[in-house]
Amino acid sequence: MNEPLDISRRYFLGRGAGVSLGAMALSQLLQRASAAPSTAVPTGLPHFAAKAKHVIFLTQSGGPSQLELYDYKPQLEKWAGIEIPDSVRQGQRVTTMTSNQKQLLMPGRTKFERCGRSGATIGEWLPHLRGVADDLCFIKSMHSDQINHAPAMTKFLTGHQIPGRPSMGAWASYGLGSENKNLPDYLVLISKMQRPSDQPLYDHYWGSGFLPSRFQGVKLRNSRDPVLYLRDPDGLPRELRRGMLDGLGELNQMRLTETGDPEIATRIRQYEMAYRMQTSVPELTDMSGEAESTFELYGPDSRRAGSYAANCIQARRLVERGVRFIQLFHPDWDHHSRLPSWCVARCRDTDQPTAGLIRDLKQRGLLDQTLVIWGGEFGRSPVGQGKWDSIEAGRDHHPRCFTMWMAGGGVKAGLTYGATDDFSFSVAENPVHVHDLHATALHLLGMDHERLTYRHQGLDFRLTGVEPSRVVKKILS
Amino acid sequence: MIPRFFRSHGTAVCVLLAANLSSLAADVPSFNRDVLPILSDNCFACHGPDAKQAKGGLRLDLHDSATKPAKSGEVAVVPGKPAASALVKRIETKDADKLMPPADSHKQLTSAQKDVLKRWVTAGAKYEAHWSFVPPVKAPPPAVAGAKSAIDRFVLARLAQEKLKPSSEAAKHTLLRRVSYDLTGLPPTTAELDAFLADRSPDAFEKVVTRLLKSEHFGERMAMWWLDAARYADTDGFQSDATRSNWPWRDWVVAAFNANMKFDQFTREQFAGDLLPNATPEQQLATCFHRNHMTNGEGGRDPEESRVDYVIDRVNTVGTVWLGLTLNCVQCHAHKYDPLPHADFYRLAAFFNSIDEDGKAGTAAKPYLSYQSPLAARAVTEAQALVDERKPREAEARKAAEAPFAEWLATKAREVAKGFAAWHPLRASELESIEGTRLVQEADAIVQASGPNPNHEDYRVIGAVKLPRVTGLKLEVLPHASHTSGGLSRGKSGEFILTDIKVQVRRRGSSQIRDVLVTGAVADASADQKGAREYGDIKGVLDDDPRNGWTTKGLDQKQPRTAVFALAEPLVLDADEELIFELRHRSTLGDANIGRFRVSATDQAGDAIRSVEPAPLEQLATAKLTDLGALDTKLRAKLFNQFLADYAPYQVAKSALDRASRQLGEVKAGAQKLNVMVLAERKEPRATHILVRGVWDKPGEKVERGVPAAVAPWPANADKTRLSLANWLTARDNPLTARVVVNNLWALLFGNGLVRTPEDFGLQGERPTHPELLDWLAVEFMESGWDVKHILQLMATSATYRQSSVASPALLARDPENRLLARAPRFRLPAWMLRDAALRSGGLLNPSLGGPPVKPYQPEGVWEEIFMGRFKYEPSEGAAQYRRSLYAFWRRSIAPTFLFDSAQRRVCEVRTPRTNTPLQALTLLNDETFLEASRALAAKVLRVATKPEDRLAEIYRRVLARPPNAKEAAVLQREFDRALASYRTKPAEAAKLLAGAQFKVDAKLSAAELAAYTVVASLAFNLDEAITHE
Repeated sequence: MNEPLDISRRYFLGRGAGVSLGAMALSQLLQRASAAPSTAVPTGLPHFAAKAKHVIFLTQSGGPSQLELYDYKPQLEKWAGIEIPDSVRQGQRVTTMTSNQKQLLMPGRTKFERCGRSGATIGEWLPHLRGVADDLCFIKSMHSDQINHAPAMTKFLTGHQIPGRPSMGAWASYGLGSENKNLPDYLVLISKMQRPSDQPLYDHYWGSGFLPSRFQGVKLRNSRDPVLYLRDPDGLPRELRRGMLDGLGELNQMRLTETGDPEIATRIRQYEMAYRMQTSVPELTDMSGEAESTFELYGPDSRRAGSYAANCIQARRLVERGVRFIQLFHPDWDHHSRLPSWCVARCRDTDQPTAGLIRDLKQRGLLDQTLVIWGGEFGRSPVGQGKWDSIEAGRDHHPRCFTMWMAGGGVKAGLTYGATDDFSFSVAENPVHVHDLHATALHLLGMDHERLTYRHQGLDFRLTGVEPSRVVKKILS
Repeated sequence: MIPRFFRSHGTAVCVLLAANLSSLAADVPSFNRDVLPILSDNCFACHGPDAKQAKGGLRLDLHDSATKPAKSGEVAVVPGKPAASALVKRIETKDADKLMPPADSHKQLTSAQKDVLKRWVTAGAKYEAHWSFVPPVKAPPPAVAGAKSAIDRFVLARLAQEKLKPSSEAAKHTLLRRVSYDLTGLPPTTAELDAFLADRSPDAFEKVVTRLLKSEHFGERMAMWWLDAARYADTDGFQSDATRSNWPWRDWVVAAFNANMKFDQFTREQFAGDLLPNATPEQQLATCFHRNHMTNGEGGRDPEESRVDYVIDRVNTVGTVWLGLTLNCVQCHAHKYDPLPHADFYRLAAFFNSIDEDGKAGTAAKPYLSYQSPLAARAVTEAQALVDERKPREAEARKAAEAPFAEWLATKAREVAKGFAAWHPLRASELESIEGTRLVQEADAIVQASGPNPNHEDYRVIGAVKLPRVTGLKLEVLPHASHTSGGLSRGKSGEFILTDIKVQVRRRGSSQIRDVLVTGAVADASADQKGAREYGDIKGVLDDDPRNGWTTKGLDQKQPRTAVFALAEPLVLDADEELIFELRHRSTLGDANIGRFRVSATDQAGDAIRSVEPAPLEQLATAKLTDLGALDTKLRAKLFNQFLADYAPYQVAKSALDRASRQLGEVKAGAQKLNVMVLAERKEPRATHILVRGVWDKPGEKVERGVPAAVAPWPANADKTRLSLANWLTARDNPLTARVVVNNLWALLFGNGLVRTPEDFGLQGERPTHPELLDWLAVEFMESGWDVKHILQLMATSATYRQSSVASPALLARDPENRLLARAPRFRLPAWMLRDAALRSGGLLNPSLGGPPVKPYQPEGVWEEIFMGRFKYEPSEGAAQYRRSLYAFWRRSIAPTFLFDSAQRRVCEVRTPRTNTPLQALTLLNDETFLEASRALAAKVLRVATKPEDRLAEIYRRVLARPPNAKEAAVLQREFDRALASYRTKPAEAAKLLAGAQFKVDAKLSAAELAAYTVVASLAFNLDEAITHE
């Protein structure tokens, strides 16, 4: 094998990152590049010391309401049922769902409390999260520029509203490389829900765009095949599969010798990785070894495979196995109506497990090296949708301001950053655009968002796009 | 993709390579080849064509600007005087404030690059137009001894310059396999292989090329390329991802390529078929090309925003497919690198801005052409045949069930004579409430609530069920004196609202629980429900949505109420398993929690769990019949249904017929007149404005229809219609279209274009590896009247194409990317060809052309999990399963799972990635199509040969078009023997492996042998050689 591998190394160096070379070869390539006299390309990764080695991105799809969960606006009570002043609205468009109705303000439908030593405000529908408030860093001044779900989520996750760019997780795994040789670097888990969701979760949300496809997120499905095509057919015993792969490897090796194509060496390795994944993935998804106390910590729903709560446990297990980027999706936060029952339902699904995850990571000493991000594609409007003072009322989409939080690797615990105006309609101080969030997350992973680029269609693309964006230094620990 | 990476991260490597391949060190640098790439990469972002951004008033892309004093007074370029040129000074200065490019650009020039710029200035700083904007000229091919074709002369001359020799011609079988894939997307049949190997005539290969170009599969192969470029799909994309019926356009494309429609006409019909005089329906159909974009029907979205998106998408697609320009850059601002002002984008957009559309999606995406496909009738006949085949089987199975039913009925009648209860109350081992309601179970298993009555509350009843299985559950809601007004709940109104139920299973000693799917719910009474998100109907308890659910509000509160729930499948509980029944009261109204209730389980199938009536066997018990002949016919029918529901032989036949009938229904719908999205002008043209920063509702200056001046002039007397735009694109003086198209055609055969960025011929794209050859082909293409088959024939018959792909280590090191073409390329075939090839090698392929889309196998649940059940994927059955991948139904939000590395079909793509991942290995190993093809191939070789070594060789021949050599044969034999030994000792495993989705193996053949050959066939389909264009 030595000689062909040597060829392949030279080959890769000659032709760039190539089709499947791992992080090792990438770093070799970069070292080579940086050893050259002078170059305008990244001089190696990380660009600086990373604070976090892993990311758990708790993506809440649909646009959770900042007004019920985190952004306490007592002033709104005075304005209840009154049309939002033009001076506040500033011509913000609304979706056609509410563009024909009067824009009457609706105060938060929940009670707030100041929690922990930090005094963060958290609504009553998240009782467990209140208990870990001092571990969280809230950003109340998030804003985006997309008002519809699919474009907003695409922007939130790929930096651009039109599908086709690499997702944040793909950029991260491209930049960070792998710690685990038996699992992909970027895994996606989606809550199993019974209600048909109004917002499908498209695979471009975790796609690799124009980056090589090995950086794309791999969805761990909640079914017999957690990864598509993972399971061998019935009637093919494991020892026969092994034998067949040995035969295949031998024949491929002969072809490699005859043709000299180093791609064959890669193919041989990928078939072996596939074989290992057939063991490592089921082992990963089998939670029977978890202690009873774990399920108690994450709440009763964690006993149900595929639930958000079970996925939170899974996320911790993936961090333990060295997976770089773990993204959970919890759908159905699009509460245009009946906010007091509908939003509560989603809080119930997620509150205890989210808090449990923070506690669990902390007690295992993993929180320091893991960046946990919670948030959705936009927030919700302070204007009631439907009759504002009825139980029917909900809220329309609102990209002008919303709340997210981060915890763990490199962020200041117990901090609240940024603020909205008295209506939670616009950002009042320290605005953080979704691109700034991307820049900050990459920074925590040891990457400069301006230098983490990829040449495509003649342009050096980056996650944060062409507009200037910033690392939010104030929230770094 | 690969070369891009190395350009962005391996500049040093790039320079070394460039030094190998070009004369960078020559005395006078060429502006286009040497200087422009450096300026474009490093300088144009601030000093380029985007005039608004030009820092210091300096543009380095224009001679006049570069040689005049900038705002600072400095002159960037003084021809012949490097020392006086600010450009030279600023790239060499040690002063960090003055250095160019500045540090914050993260760009740095290498010393070699600085040297090029200096020598260029010294030599007079000559500017040239970018190569692709200069119309191509047909240079006479260089004279090279022994070279037959023009293509070979250009390639060999270049090789000679590099002191390299071409590779020898590939083996005959390799050539045949290569060209068959390239021109039809299919491997050769064994007959075609034998014929070619036997043909010793000197033009044997030319004859093959001619044959393949005439094959109707040629059009299918070309269509796959074109459909990727056209972002064709069978659904809208975005949130609702509704199904559309544009597939007749796909068949138009196949037919156009098969008829060798000239590319200029092909362009005209797709841009403006509707504007042609006496336009035929097919010419109107062609314009669907420009309607294949995604459409967004998301609730709340402004349709005008969507409409603008569609127009923008069309311009981008024209840019990529015809012009090879990244027009998308110009949507928001002037191009940073190419001479394309912001307005150019909107001038082009104006051609597409007056389509009679309004931005809507789904079935409201006008304008439509009502079109009936002539190719659907065949599919109807095929689907009808399957129904006709299965119908009598179902009838037979029903008939065959009569006798066992009579027996069953007699037994049951005896059993129920002493009385029968279908429902068994659930005795709770545990009762739980989340919010503190006190629950107590009474002697008759009725549960009574007392104590607090919280706003929202969930109850859980947990207990063992002593039934052989559970098919359904019953919930009785009971009034009680302790409730409000003696009603059904202790809430303010006395009414209950049950928002959701859950059924789960818990195993003693295990921490985990599993969900049980409930699919049916009926109740004896429900309040009238006013809207989808109101309380009333019982079905609302099954969807996890607290905004709907069951209530009997407004009806007599003192009446007990009953609901019956049907499980999706019978549930068999182990001795240590318990059932959990959860009642959720999470209504918006609050506190309407059930006060008194009982949960029961049944093992009865059929009507018992679909109705609140007494179960059929209960009715039988009540009837107390002495003579079954007196049985009421209605009750008998119910009992027969109940029997059939559990009678597997019947269910197999019944569900097979149901699937075939559904398939027939779908195909018949496709055979009707369909609405195909096409182009049509609206009466009143819309005004077109530049969109500020590309934002749809920020109109700027008004613009008229027009084309980028930098590309080619607009003919003086042409009207400004889409038809004229098509003519402009294919005009002789358009420098781009012919080059871009022949480059794409080259890539179909050679794996890569002569320009390796087929989507970008602009300044940031790569320069052609063989500029003169590209131009010669482009001119030849135009002079031949845009004859696609002619150009492909020239390419495929060239000696360049016929080289071997084997690379010596020296050649590999010298030219790893094969830019010089000293060998044939070796690359993995596209996934769609791999699937089609497996079908052909296994003898399964259904080669029919056109018609409604089909559904190849994919793993269960992949649509359902994205759309939470809204769309279900049922693989096609019968011959429809084995159609080519071109016809696979393409849902944009979840592309066919077996197509790895394919275009996404969301926006136009002319270059798809080629990667090598473990997930691909898993697909080829375990996808049902490949398994079924392996079984079929195993059965085939068992029939056509007798000796094991011949059979193994036949597998190789059918997959690789060659027999194995001795060493390979030994490995195959060893793996076969190992598998055979294993299956001989484990016949049950062999039976499992052979039990595929559809393909039935001949029962007369030995199962162990078949299974062992299946394993070897699967191995063969996974060989690197099998999946590679060699």
